[in-house]
Amino acid sequence: MNEITESQNQRSAAVSLRGISKFFDDVTAVDSVDLDIGDSEFFALLGPSGCGKTTTLRMIAGLEIPSAGSLQIFGEEVGSLPPNKRPVNTVFQNYALFPHMSVADNVAFGLKMRKIPKSEISTRVHEAISLVRMTGMEDRRPNQLSGGQQQRVALARALVNRPKVLLLDEPLAALDLKLRQEMQFELKQLQREVGITFVFVTHDQEEALALSDRIGVMNDGRLLQVGTPEEMYDAPIDRFVADFIGRSNFLNGTLESAEVVCLANGQRIRVPEVDAVSIGDEVQVSLRPERVMIGDLDSAPHDSAQLSGTVDTETFLGNSVVYRVALDWMTIEVEADHRPDVERYHAGDRVDLWWRDDAVAVVRP
Amino acid sequence: MKLGAAELKREREERRRGFFLALPSFAYMLLFFALPLVIVLIYSFATRTSTGSTALSDWNLDAYRKLGEPIVRNVVVRSVVLAVITTVICLVVAYPFAWFCAHQRPTVRNVLLIAVMIPFWTNFLVRNYAWRILLSKGGPISTFTEAIGLGEVDILFTKTAVVIGLVYAYLPFMILPLYASIDRLDRRLIEAGRDLYGSGPQTFRRIILPLTMPGVIAGSILVFVPSMGAYVTPELLGGGKETMLGSYIVTQFLTARNWPVGASLSFVLMTVMLISTVIYFRSGGRNL
Amino acid sequence: MSHSHQRRLPVWALRTNGGAVLLFLYAPIILLVILSFSASRIPGQWGGFTTEWYATLFDDSRLQRTISVSVRVALVSTLIATVLGTMAALALERFTFRGRRVFDALLYLPIIIPDVTMAVMMLMFFSQSFNVVDAVFGLGISKGFGTIVVSHVAFNIAFVSVVVRARIAGMNATLEQAASDLYASRWQAFRYVTLPLIAPGVFGGALLALTLSLDDVVVTQFVAGPGSTTLPVYVFSLIRKGVTPTINSVSVIMLVASLILVAGSVALQRANASRGRQQLQTSGGTS
Repeated sequence: MNEITESQNQRSAAVSLRGISKFFDDVTAVDSVDLDIGDSEFFALLGPSGCGKTTTLRMIAGLEIPSAGSLQIFGEEVGSLPPNKRPVNTVFQNYALFPHMSVADNVAFGLKMRKIPKSEISTRVHEAISLVRMTGMEDRRPNQLSGGQQQRVALARALVNRPKVLLLDEPLAALDLKLRQEMQFELKQLQREVGITFVFVTHDQEEALALSDRIGVMNDGRLLQVGTPEEMYDAPIDRFVADFIGRSNFLNGTLESAEVVCLANGQRIRVPEVDAVSIGDEVQVSLRPERVMIGDLDSAPHDSAQLSGTVDTETFLGNSVVYRVALDWMTIEVEADHRPDVERYHAGDRVDLWWRDDAVAVVRP
Repeated sequence: MKLGAAELKREREERRRGFFLALPSFAYMLLFFALPLVIVLIYSFATRTSTGSTALSDWNLDAYRKLGEPIVRNVVVRSVVLAVITTVICLVVAYPFAWFCAHQRPTVRNVLLIAVMIPFWTNFLVRNYAWRILLSKGGPISTFTEAIGLGEVDILFTKTAVVIGLVYAYLPFMILPLYASIDRLDRRLIEAGRDLYGSGPQTFRRIILPLTMPGVIAGSILVFVPSMGAYVTPELLGGGKETMLGSYIVTQFLTARNWPVGASLSFVLMTVMLISTVIYFRSGGRNL
Repeated sequence: MSHSHQRRLPVWALRTNGGAVLLFLYAPIILLVILSFSASRIPGQWGGFTTEWYATLFDDSRLQRTISVSVRVALVSTLIATVLGTMAALALERFTFRGRRVFDALLYLPIIIPDVTMAVMMLMFFSQSFNVVDAVFGLGISKGFGTIVVSHVAFNIAFVSVVVRARIAGMNATLEQAASDLYASRWQAFRYVTLPLIAPGVFGGALLALTLSLDDVVVTQFVAGPGSTTLPVYVFSLIRKGVTPTINSVSVIMLVASLILVAGSVALQRANASRGRQQLQTSGGTS
């Protein structure tokens, strides 16, 4: 693991942010963000609206100038350059296609502005349009296209310039659910095909998990954690991250040693080793509902963590059942598979809960 | 830091760009609009000499005191009365018309609205002149009323003629905001009102009228304000007998040569308009 | 639904009122056109068909001179007001700068100020400034073409900027950012994206300015010189002396001129509206 990250850093990162901040009057939109995005990586900036993710993207694009810090693209300091002087292109949230131009003219716009020879423009426009499978639509106006088609034109319009980094601002937010899933797949394939760095901003955790190689979660202008989708889900280091990506139970406690947490009820549990918090700190233990086992203590490992309580409510979801189990000091949500071979419980039943030691993550509260 | 400076620089550049973009028109408006306005204000405190010229000395409020004199007061009162009558007539005629428009199919509705707008865009002077011809002795209206046995109509150069001309000129100003507010009415509220109050008039008074009040206020101001300051209409249809504020001011400059009084009256007229405009925006006029 | 209609104002009453309003609006114009072809020497009476009164127009050199002044004033003042008004609209909608709020308020004034006040302002301003110019430079300037144009521009900048601002406000600002993201300089972004998109607004503003300039009587009457009077001012003075059949025919010509302008603006609005509708439909379909 460590070796890979190191070698990625040695090849200079595609985008490198050091202490980047942005203030609007008294508001801190982005607060001292450090981030390296690797070459040909598909990177997601994930967070709720107003968390600073779009401002961060706009700073990379040059639409905003950072208030402080350093911003490099392939080792070149670009923080103060205007957007038209940067080797990046953007797919805007509502595509921002020029309504008075045809599809072909939209795609050719960037090349024309850079005074590329006419013959080269027409080949490259043709290539880009066929890359996004819009051949035959060259003469249409944006208002004659569906949302998905507009999205593709926006992609072609950006990619035709062969940017070193492609920025996408909520690229799928304007599409309906079914189209969104289709375009997710297409985007991922397109990124592999062109092989350049994609940085995209989204508030949709499923989209981030499905598409990206790595995710950075932001909240309140701060970058909380960066990692692969699996890392973010399995080993969140911040309560906000654990809560934003998937669902989780949070058990209060104190970190007693590198691998032991004393829960609020006095019980000690073993946890995976952590280094984001120091010993003696108040912490929370994040416990995913589907990783809590209910009943069937026989199959539990020898000294696994165990709790017992009463089923308060049950919610049937089709492929699973969600139980809210009341302990005497808190309520825990448990998601059990719905299968004939799994026992079903009902409100009022006394149940035992247990989990493997590696099912939990210790997070900053 | 370096980037902080770049951020400030870009912000300053943007401001400078905006400033230089605005500069030609801004300078023009300051020189050829704001300055003239200030000059009018200064003149309204000046003295008229016995020769009819204006002395820019001995600053006083004489011109404003003249507003209290019977001649000027009559003109002001007449202007207000005629403008109010015009506004009320427009309101009574325009409300059902706007209601009718709002309840038509979109195509019919658009045709009706364009039909209302077209006369408004045609030459103002010609529209007034047309009424002068229509109302003239032996003109079309007289001929018609005589033919059906009602006798001759001789109302040219009367207050009635002036009001007809003003209604004709400003009716579209009433219809359009009324239409906008009626069109926005939530039909379900009317149904609910019917449920509560039953009778049509009750529903109108308690639900429909309050909800369309912004349109009523906006339309009334849009009609009242220009009627107050009208000059061409009273001149052509009032024949100079039914002087209104606008004509009186013009007289002060072109014939009576009393610039301070003309200036003070202009200023008062403008203040009335400004206050009305504030009310207009307060009543949600910006959205209409 | 139909039975609830019965308890409102009856439909026939609404229809009658609607018809009456349209009759009221159009009858005077139509009658004027008809009467302009009347052979009777009394302008309000029908005396058989003739085009004599139109023919007399061609012999009236005074009239032709005023028409030429009107047209030149309208074109020059519209051109200047459109350029300045569009720049003002862009500055106010897309930038912040020192004095922005004062400028914004100042640009509303000419719209709400009464004609008469505007006329008085310009008269006093010119007489005052001519005195100053005469005293300082020894130049004797007099009222005429220049003063009319300056005054018309002074009120038209405001009208143009209102129309153009509405158009800019309806335009997505991201489009300009997209242009600069696609390597366009500020000027190129304006030239290739902003300008084509606000063009209908600029054109609409220019049409309004042209109409207002051709319409104006009061302000022009105050600032016109002895040798340069516009058509409306001339016609106004003729009407006050007494109506003649010739005035009927001049009026009809003015009417036709303004109708051509209306037709232009209506066509423009419809083109815009249908484009706007299409855009709404596509964006509505995807969200």
